[in-house]
Amino acid sequence: MSEKLLELKNTTIKFGGVTALNEVNFHVNRGEICALIGPNGAGKTTVFNIVTGVYPVTSGDILFKGQSISGKKRHHITKMGLARTFQNVRLFGEMTALENVITATDVHKKTGLLRALIGTPLNRREERESKARAHELLEFMGIDHRADQLAKNLPYGDQRRLEIARALGTEPELVLLDEPAAGFNPAEKVALAETIKKIRDKGYTVLLIEHDMSLIMGISDRVAVLDFGQKIADDVPTVVQNDPRVIEAYLGVPADAS
Amino acid sequence: MSALKNFNLRDKGAEIWAGWNRLTRTVFVSVFVLLIALLPFAPNWGPTSFLNTPITSFQNVLVYPMGMFVLMALGLNIVVGKSGLLDLGYIAFFAIGAYSQAILSTLFGWNTWEILPVGILLAMASGVLLGLPALRLRGDYLAIITLGFGEIVRIVALNITVTGGPNGIAGIPNPPTLFGFQFNLMYPEHFFWLVLVMIMLVIWMVRRFTVRRPGRAWEAIRQDEDVAALMGVNTLVYKLWSFVIGAAVGGFAGVIYASKVMVISPDMFKFDVSILVLACVVFGGIGNIWGVALGATLLAYLPERIRFISDARQVIFGLVLILMMNLRPDGLLPRKKREKIQEKRTM
Repeated sequence: MSEKLLELKNTTIKFGGVTALNEVNFHVNRGEICALIGPNGAGKTTVFNIVTGVYPVTSGDILFKGQSISGKKRHHITKMGLARTFQNVRLFGEMTALENVITATDVHKKTGLLRALIGTPLNRREERESKARAHELLEFMGIDHRADQLAKNLPYGDQRRLEIARALGTEPELVLLDEPAAGFNPAEKVALAETIKKIRDKGYTVLLIEHDMSLIMGISDRVAVLDFGQKIADDVPTVVQNDPRVIEAYLGVPADAS
Repeated sequence: MSALKNFNLRDKGAEIWAGWNRLTRTVFVSVFVLLIALLPFAPNWGPTSFLNTPITSFQNVLVYPMGMFVLMALGLNIVVGKSGLLDLGYIAFFAIGAYSQAILSTLFGWNTWEILPVGILLAMASGVLLGLPALRLRGDYLAIITLGFGEIVRIVALNITVTGGPNGIAGIPNPPTLFGFQFNLMYPEHFFWLVLVMIMLVIWMVRRFTVRRPGRAWEAIRQDEDVAALMGVNTLVYKLWSFVIGAAVGGFAGVIYASKVMVISPDMFKFDVSILVLACVVFGGIGNIWGVALGATLLAYLPERIRFISDARQVIFGLVLILMMNLRPDGLLPRKKREKIQEKRTM
């Protein structure tokens, strides 16, 4: 059995009276592409938010590489190897594309403020290396020609690609992609699917939220379905597709059945 | 009108700068610094005599308010401009530097050069003390706390004996001679050159930070603090550093200021000075050191230049501010908008 990279154990989160996630048990194996789907408001993005430390869990636990990460600081979790993109693009708009990625690579740097001021050889080498690495990642996402443009001036699709490049800049083991194909045309979606597979083949593990079923069914190794904060299915795509509970959650129950 | 709003001198300048080689740059910077260093003699030379300030001595105006305001504006710019933390009590750090100089010199007989590092460290320590609790808050709440801190420092100075209460401290000694330069009432231009060196040091430091990791971290925090944290920036630590470095610059300026004016009292460190320094930053172009330096120079100089119209000068000053902010809402030299330019420079 493959190693569980990320594991949610009986995770519950409540916002006041609303239970956004209820006793969810869920895991991501190392090296797979796992998809998280569900109707709007099912709690998908909430999963991302509790995993990356944005919200504290109400009860239950989150394990990453076997270690509990609930209650840890956001930058600490990122440093451990977990990075994400955002449903609504949230780049550093006033920075160039390259700087956006370099900012993410900074997480593993040894030199901070004082050595930057003095300009020690190690600091200069780190600055050089992260610049090269950032170019490499932009190249990988196919947007290196945009390196010196301000992020806010990039076309929408390139902004989404830049978000992925920035997430990869933190050298994560697990990448969380929040609706990476939102607003893409069919051709772009096909290209994105290839990119996500390439990301997996490079050794990253991918957990993605997506609404486009053909994209998900094409690339995912496993699909988990959330509905009203409950996990209702978790299996290989073909099985999930035919699960009556999933169909019910998405399409509703026929009137004559009840 | 819109042409005036959109014209970005900063981009033009950066473009020209990028086209120069090392030698041209060195010559340009040297000539520029030399011209500024000659400023104390400007009133004595025909073509530049219009710069002279009536009533107050131009050489003294160059040190305070001009030099000191440039220093403080550069320091505050690290906090407000680089990392986007609104600090309304910045004058407190200046006051702490000034009182360090005043107390340590009059009570313990230390000289200015010995006090300088201590004054800076004390300002930094108070920055940590204020920053640790305050930086957990954001926006308006942070502004209110810093405002309170600025007032606390002044009111404490007003009420305890070691600071001399409302009378302040008199008889603060001038700095001892350094590299053959005497610092006393006879040589205000020496103080100006000292301040000029300090300003260059601060500019060097800020430029270093800006292009490296700390600058990126601050920039990320300023633009979106939550995303910055999720991309691995230790936001509290970097916000604290920007606060502390800003405080250090303020303390630095305060020590020299006290040793120049020889008398300090709490009413020199009122809230309105914090606001004026903030106005310098915004007026010049928040986030851009050249803009901030220019803004502080002009805003500190203008009221002195028009001092002869006495009470009306504050009205004129206010009108100029309103007019400027309407014509150029991003300041005189706005923050970089560069694309491409940076690439050329680093290659």
